[in-house]
Order: sequence, then structure tokens, then C-alpha cells
Amino acid sequence: MASRRGFLAGLLATGLAPAATWADAGAPRWLSAAGLPDGGFALCGIGEDMGLRFSIPLPGRGHAAAAHPERPEAVAFARRPGTFAVVIDCADGRQTAQLAAPAGRHFYGHGAFSLDGRWLYTTENDFEAARGVIGIWDAQHGYKRTGEFASGGTGPHEIRRMPGSEVLVVANGGIETHPASGRSKLNIAVMRPNLSYIEDGVVVETAALPPAMHKGSIRHIAVSHSGEVAFGMQWQGDADGPVLVGLHQRGGAVRLCTAPDAQLRAMQGYIGSITFAAGQREVAVTSPRGGLVQMFDTASASYLRSDAMADACGVASCAGGLIVTSGTGDLVRLGRDVAQVAHPGLMWDNHLVAL
Amino acid sequence: MRLIPLCLAILLPATAFAQTAADTAQSAVTQHILPRYEALAKAGATLAKTAQAESSPETPALTAAYDDAFDAWIAASHLRFGPSEAQDRAFALAFWPDTRGITPRALAALINDADPVVRDPGAFAGVSIAARGFYALEFLLYDPEILAMGDADYRCDLVRAVTADIAELSADILAGWQGDFAAKVLSTGQGGPYRSDEEAVQELFNALTYGLEFTSDTRLGRPLGTFDKPRPKRAEAWRAGRSLRNITLSLTSLDDLSGILAQRDPELTARLQDAFQIAIADAESLDDPILEGVADPLKRLRVESLQQSIDHVREIVRDELGPELGVAPGFNAMDGD
Repeated sequence: MASRRGFLAGLLATGLAPAATWADAGAPRWLSAAGLPDGGFALCGIGEDMGLRFSIPLPGRGHAAAAHPERPEAVAFARRPGTFAVVIDCADGRQTAQLAAPAGRHFYGHGAFSLDGRWLYTTENDFEAARGVIGIWDAQHGYKRTGEFASGGTGPHEIRRMPGSEVLVVANGGIETHPASGRSKLNIAVMRPNLSYIEDGVVVETAALPPAMHKGSIRHIAVSHSGEVAFGMQWQGDADGPVLVGLHQRGGAVRLCTAPDAQLRAMQGYIGSITFAAGQREVAVTSPRGGLVQMFDTASASYLRSDAMADACGVASCAGGLIVTSGTGDLVRLGRDVAQVAHPGLMWDNHLVAL
Repeated sequence: MRLIPLCLAILLPATAFAQTAADTAQSAVTQHILPRYEALAKAGATLAKTAQAESSPETPALTAAYDDAFDAWIAASHLRFGPSEAQDRAFALAFWPDTRGITPRALAALINDADPVVRDPGAFAGVSIAARGFYALEFLLYDPEILAMGDADYRCDLVRAVTADIAELSADILAGWQGDFAAKVLSTGQGGPYRSDEEAVQELFNALTYGLEFTSDTRLGRPLGTFDKPRPKRAEAWRAGRSLRNITLSLTSLDDLSGILAQRDPELTARLQDAFQIAIADAESLDDPILEGVADPLKRLRVESLQQSIDHVREIVRDELGPELGVAPGFNAMDGD
């Protein structure tokens, strides 16, 4: 994301950028939802120094956010099965609009913008039909709901856009839930997660796991500059699962990232967030259950190392390393310039979204 | 001489408090888990034997044996780890909820094709898990459409195959526990499924949490649906008239497990027991065996009240028992997303 900011700043310097851009927002570098000591929830802007830039109250627990590719604007989504999303002006840390999922749908907590920022896509549950859908919202006209298409599976969770194209990639976690049954999983025995690539509302490619891995719920994804997709799983079977991280390049087969048994088990079957790091040569995954950040080598699809951090979840790459958030309120910079900033009272939630 | 009883009085509570995670796991395995899987294996074997003699759905002996075995399964249905999960045994015993109606379709396919797989016990274990276990047998014994399908002799063979499979699955789970899994829970460490006694206790705590969640959110939540759109036909095992019975049985069994997990803290034990008794009393006084009342605004209130009573137990388990056992998860660790 730093490259986009650099590019936009360059544009601004040449006088070619007409309106407010990310460069104007200046201060916040990342967004994260958080829990508050009084039981409330907020969306927070975080600066390069890991300090708090703004905090906007949310009507319920948040999850992740999507940054607009041009305007200093982001949309933060309710944690499933929530039905709200809020549009934030990141320049002044102000809520400008609120979205509501249509009747019969709820959000899963993630969304992505089209290449030009005109459309916002959200992962949603059509729960009566037990069908995953992608909602389409018009970002140019007050985020009006304009339609939806099938996500290519059940329980779509994270959605990303492929670099330089309008193709979307969706992690269909495979798990059926219904608001009447809370967060109970209704179909573990027959779940079938997949990665779906979608172009113009049509699934153009599906990557699935080997049958023995069908309880590996593909929940979180990251996309490299070259279009490689890294995915993190949450194991729904007994014990801690055979593997929790995978890689996929369109047209190819899934490459599962192996780890030594002790390191695999230490993640307790649960990946909370994933990002490419180290110039895309590595993938970082977090496990709040295991209290670990693990790194994998993308070339060999194999385990590299672990860092311990209690309740670690949100992760984003930064120059020279990673920023990791924790439910304890800590923000930690790993890698070249190790640093830690505590935010007492805040419980950082799930995802750290680079702006 | 007087000093001795006094000393004992002081020492006893301290000894009780010093109970370790290993002691808790030991009690849970020997007093809760093994007896339940023994009962299931026994009732499963009786069910299969009964069906060999009498496989007609109207036979009272068969439906009675079915109810006994189903009761035994419900009492163990929260114990979803280890041998029950190997080869998807628990899912094969209990494919529910069936949100897409796979069970009746899978059974209809077998019956309409008169699939010879029912005459080969080894091969039957390879059919879709949706056509096996207690919920498939419910269709075979109680569903008018299935009962009108195909040839009566074939359906009898199918009942025999399903019951024999239930007996085998139940026996296999028990054999797994008695074989070495109980020992693995009780002697944790490198190489075993649990690296520490605390991890084993965490698994037992998860079983209690899962059982409460399943009964509240799924056994009750699915038929409750919403006020505007109740779903009585989504109640568990309503064809067999067992929806409420399963709820009461599961609560009784979960009460037992929670008593074992909380035994280090007598006050917490009492609070949990009280909360369970309220929920069980709510269930017993409901007088609505298949939860039809969810569609009647007045009767619905009482079903919702039962759900709230269970959710009160869940709160105590989450907020008090978890921290007491040292298994309270972090903000993100407990998130599940």
C-alpha cells in the first residue's frame, strides 16, 4: 500500500490530482476495529508511529475495513452476523455514511473496492438459501445497493481484488450459519471451502482443497503484486488440522504450506489474519489462540519462524517488517525496527487494514 | 485429641482446593465420558439386535430400543473430540441439522435403487453419512413418505443395516476411548493430543461450551427462527417426537460435566447447579414435545424463556467457570472469525 501512497503523493506533486487523496489524509496509516472497556466498539485510525489518530464509535463489534483506492475514505464492516457498515472520511476521522445489509442478508466483515473505486463489494450471507453472495454498492452515489452475485460457495469471508484487474478473489469458508442459530456451524460434516475468482459477477476459476482437507475453512486471504493468493485456514475437525496456510496462483494447483508438527499444533488450528511480507517473499499469519505470528517462505511453501505475542491477530506489512495488533491493546512492530506501543483499554480486533 | 478434628477441618478444604487439572480430567473421563460411551455402545448393540429380530417400523420393541440408544447418544453428543471424530463417527451417528434435506434424498436413492449395499455390512459404512445414524433411522421409522417408498423388505434390510452400523460406530468410539485415548487425556505431554493437563481441561471446557451452544442455538434456535418466521419443522427429531426430550437429556448431561469441571469451587458449583436446574425445570414443564409452540405467540414465550435459562448457564460458564479453570480466551482467540 505504501507504493500507492507514494504514487498518489507523486501525482499530487505534479498537480495532476484533482481532489482530496490519500496523501492529504496524512496521518493514519492503518485502520483497525477495537473493543472498548465499557463494552462498546470503535474504529480507530493508527499513525506511522503506532499512535492513535482517531476513534469513531461503531454500533456493534467491527471486523475489517476496505480502503478506497483514491479518496481518503474507508468502509468498516460489522463482524458477522452484523448488518451495518460505516463509511469513514479518513482525513478527519469522521463517519460520513452508514450502510445496512438488505433484508435476508448479513455481512461477514470484509469488503473490497473495484479498481477505480466506483464499486464496493461485500461478502454476505443469503441465509435462508444458505448461499454466499457478494453485494454491490455504488461508491459514487452514496453507497447505494445496486445488486449482488453468487460468491461461488458457502460462507464467503474475506474478499480481495486481484492486482491491476477487476477480478475478485473470495475465500468461501464453506461453513453454513443462520442468524437464528447464532454463530453455530450447521454443516461441518459436508462443508466444502474454496477460493473463487470472479469476473463480471461470474465465477471464472475455483481452487479447492483435497477432499481430506474439506474441514479447512479458508477464511482469510492476501494477494501479492504478482497475483499470488495466500490463504489462512481455520480447522473445523478434531485436533489442530494437517496444514493451515496455502498459496494459489490462477491456473495452477493449490500449494499447501507445511510446518513442523510442533509449530503447526502451536497455532491451534486457527489463523486469524494473513499478509504478504518481506517484498512478497514471505507470508505472515497470526494465531490469537496460539499467541503466535508465523512466517512462511512463499517459494518453498514452508515454515520459517515464529514470534510469540498474546492474542495476536491483525497483521500488515510495513517497511522492514510487520505491524501486529493484539486483543490486549498492544501494537507491535516486528522486523528491522522492533517497537511496541500499548493502548490500554483498547482490544484490537481481528484485522489491521493498510490505507 | 481434640486438636485432630480441628486440624482435619482446616486441612480438608485446602486439600479439596489443591485439586489439579489432572484430577479434573481424571474425574471427567472416569465419571462422565466413559460411562456415557459404555451406555451408548450397550444401547447401540441392543438396538441392532432388536432390529435383527423385528425390523418393522411399527414394532414397539424396535422403537423402544431406538429411543434408548438415541437417549444414550444425546447424553454423549457434546463430547466431540478424539475417537468420536476419527473417521467422522459422530457425524455418521448424528447427521443433524440437515439444512439441505440430504438425509431423505440419500435414503430415497437407496430405497428406489434397492441398492444391495444394505446387505454388505462392510460396505454400508461407506455410504453417505447422511443416510446413516439416528436421524436417518428416524426417517425410516417415522416418515410417511419414506415408509411408502419402495419395497417393505428392502426397507427392513435398510433398518437392519443402519442399526448395525450404529452399533459398530458406538462400539468403535468406546474401543477408542478404552484403547488408548482415555490414557492420552490422563497422561498429557509431548507426542499425545494434549501437551498439558490444562489443555485437556480446555478440551473438556470446550465440550461443555459446545454442548450448551448446540442446545440453545441449534436445538432451540432453529425451530424458533424469528417471531415473524418460526420454523417448527426445523425442530430436532420431531418425527420421532423427541425434540424436547433431547434438550432435557442434553442439559442433564451437561449439568453433570459442569459439576465435575467446577468441583474446585463449591460456590460456583452451586450457582451452576441452580442455573441448570432452572433450565431443566423450564424444559420439563414445557409440555410441548416437538416444540410446535414456537409458532404460537403465547407458547413461544415459554420456549424463549427456556432458551434464556440455558443462555444464563452459558454466561456463568463463560464468565466464571472459564476463568476459574484458567481457560478464559483472549478477545481475538475466542472470536471464531
